[in-house]
Amino acid sequence: MTTTSEMAQVSQPAASTVPPKATSRAIRSKNRIDPTYYWMVVPVLALFAFFITLPALVGVFFSLTNYAGYGDWKFIGLSNYVNIFKDPAILQSYIFTFVFALTTTVVVNIVALAIALGLNAKIKWRTGIRTVFFIPMVLSALVVSFVFNYLFSNTLPVLADRFGVTPLATSILANENLAWLAIVLVTVWQAAPGATIIYLAGLQSVPAEVYEAADLDGAGSFRQFLSLTLPLILGYLVINVILGFKGFLGTYEIIVGLTGGGPGMATQSVAMRIFSGFTGGDYSYQMANAVIYFLITLLISVIQLRLIQRRGVSL
Amino acid sequence: MNATSLARDTQFSRRALLRAAGLAGAAAVLPLAGCGSVPSSQNGVTTLRFMQNKPEVVAYFNQVIKDFEALNPDIRVIQDFNEGNFVPGLVRNDPPDVVTRGFAQATADFVRKGVFADLSDLPAAATIDPKIQDLVSSWGQYNGHETSALPFSLAAAGVIYRRDIFEAQGVSVPTTWDEFVAACEKFKAAGITPIYGTFKDNWTLGQGMFDYVAGGALDIVDFFARLTAQGAAISADAAESFTSNFGPALPKMLELASFSQKGAASKNYADGNAAFAKGQAAMYLQGPWALSQLVAANKNVRLGSFPLPVTNNPADTKVRVNVDMALSITRNTPNMAAARRFVSYLLDPSVVNAYSEKNAAFSPLKEAPAVENPQITGLAASVREGRYYQGATTYFPPSVPLYNYVQAFVYGKNSQQFLSALDDEWRRVAERTAV
Repeated sequence: MTTTSEMAQVSQPAASTVPPKATSRAIRSKNRIDPTYYWMVVPVLALFAFFITLPALVGVFFSLTNYAGYGDWKFIGLSNYVNIFKDPAILQSYIFTFVFALTTTVVVNIVALAIALGLNAKIKWRTGIRTVFFIPMVLSALVVSFVFNYLFSNTLPVLADRFGVTPLATSILANENLAWLAIVLVTVWQAAPGATIIYLAGLQSVPAEVYEAADLDGAGSFRQFLSLTLPLILGYLVINVILGFKGFLGTYEIIVGLTGGGPGMATQSVAMRIFSGFTGGDYSYQMANAVIYFLITLLISVIQLRLIQRRGVSL
Repeated sequence: MNATSLARDTQFSRRALLRAAGLAGAAAVLPLAGCGSVPSSQNGVTTLRFMQNKPEVVAYFNQVIKDFEALNPDIRVIQDFNEGNFVPGLVRNDPPDVVTRGFAQATADFVRKGVFADLSDLPAAATIDPKIQDLVSSWGQYNGHETSALPFSLAAAGVIYRRDIFEAQGVSVPTTWDEFVAACEKFKAAGITPIYGTFKDNWTLGQGMFDYVAGGALDIVDFFARLTAQGAAISADAAESFTSNFGPALPKMLELASFSQKGAASKNYADGNAAFAKGQAAMYLQGPWALSQLVAANKNVRLGSFPLPVTNNPADTKVRVNVDMALSITRNTPNMAAARRFVSYLLDPSVVNAYSEKNAAFSPLKEAPAVENPQITGLAASVREGRYYQGATTYFPPSVPLYNYVQAFVYGKNSQQFLSALDDEWRRVAERTAV
């Protein structure tokens, strides 16, 4: 924010020194937009429309039919939508997904902020440690979850058994009440580095002088964090919360790698239910589910965007 | 692994989802009546695409195809073992010419939608045991009379047991439920795990103990026929419901589960194969697809199979079968004549019987040779006498996450909740497919 206002101050006097002839030419060229921009946007727009928007519209269309993905079909109006609202299994997947996304967002941001604060301090081997922390980000989520699956199912129970920690002696992935915590843990492990990068960028944008001033005023480190750091990086926090929450709502591959939606029905996410329609001959029904989920996430995104705009941050 | 479990396990990444969505989109956009498929012949050689559903027998079919091509120089056959391509092929209106599929609800759906051609006039159709052909036909026939699929191999699943452990403990193959329980108790007393459980892979619970107990205690064909006849009008207290029929059988599942090793909930199918081959349990509730894996893990393992007795009358004991591979020709193939020649060749007794012998399967032919593989001889009498059923899990539409429900029941032990969930799911699917 401070940098932009400085820029504005610098550019204003510069503009006033330009001779009047040049200004008028500049204004004319401003009205005539460079065609290069169109060349950049139009192909992407066409591809986007053809590969994303159009299939999505086709999906909406089929959600009004009884299409199984192949063969004959006919229009059945809104009955897919009506049936979804009567399906407790679908409702359960929504509840699970939202509880999971909320919890994970909170934990990811706390962990990432703590790591970022640590990595921003003047510690030994800072670069090396930063690299180590960012490794989870480059690993595929599916690979990570298969490795954790092994740890939870084999290594952890053996260790717990040896040290007499009975609650962990059976795999927590096999426990209907605890399995979702394992998913939260692995998701946090995988998602925290991305959030950490954003927080690090935020922390580096805070000028050192404010801390010097706070030191002189006698503020302790906790007070400094609460009254200086947090307000100054609030924009980054908002971005992290919004991007994270949106991403966690679509959670899929980590669950597939860890529990496959089990044990029982305990960890079925909405995305998994939607995808089951492709293999299950339930295409149109799950398409209706997808449309409903799209509308819900759209609503959440709009609310979040309004919040962002109030904070003066833009994505 | 049979076809249904594969279909349920085939949950890939989100990219696959996008691809599927894109395919559906593209199919709707491109002119539907389009070009159709053009006969794929060049220089008088017709190319057939053959999609088979078992990745583990690719080598066998490569050899079969080589022999076939030597006899039929005007036909070339390309093998594809990625069953996941079948539905996209249908959507693109370009399915393979010849298909093998495991027969269950999902394949029956294709039959009912008229995806496959009628094969009843093929000479080879007359060589197939009518009782085994019935396993296919019982799912419904297109136009009420067509033969859309000819069985190629029949898999019979029961209890796989270690002959060495049975002999060492002086236990003989049980023929009643009480004998079975007594055998388990005896193993337990000797410090041997009676049954190796792989509960983490929920399909092993579904087509293992759930199918065995249900199939042994109920008349599965009759139950599902009456249930389906009710359509969406089914309720939990109706005489045809799961709640009214499955209740008495379920405690036996929990009893089977209690004979499994500690920590079965964190073991999967691969763990189970390795552990059972090493002798960590006396019995294993798996089908013939596990046999080659067990031998691969321990080539000296001596295995046998028997059908799980669920009642105390030995005459009631039945074995779970499924038509593991059934041959079909897609209705709109431009290479019908070549495809029929290929299917006839595949159903030649020498091809069918060699396959059955190699893969611990049963031949669907009337003139089937006696089974000599000691791993499955224990099931042969049941199959020969027709004392078999198709697993209850195969009757469910794939959109019901049945295996998850079975797993939840084994963990939570709440049979009331389990059965009413099945009734609800069945009713909801019937409601939305009835319209």
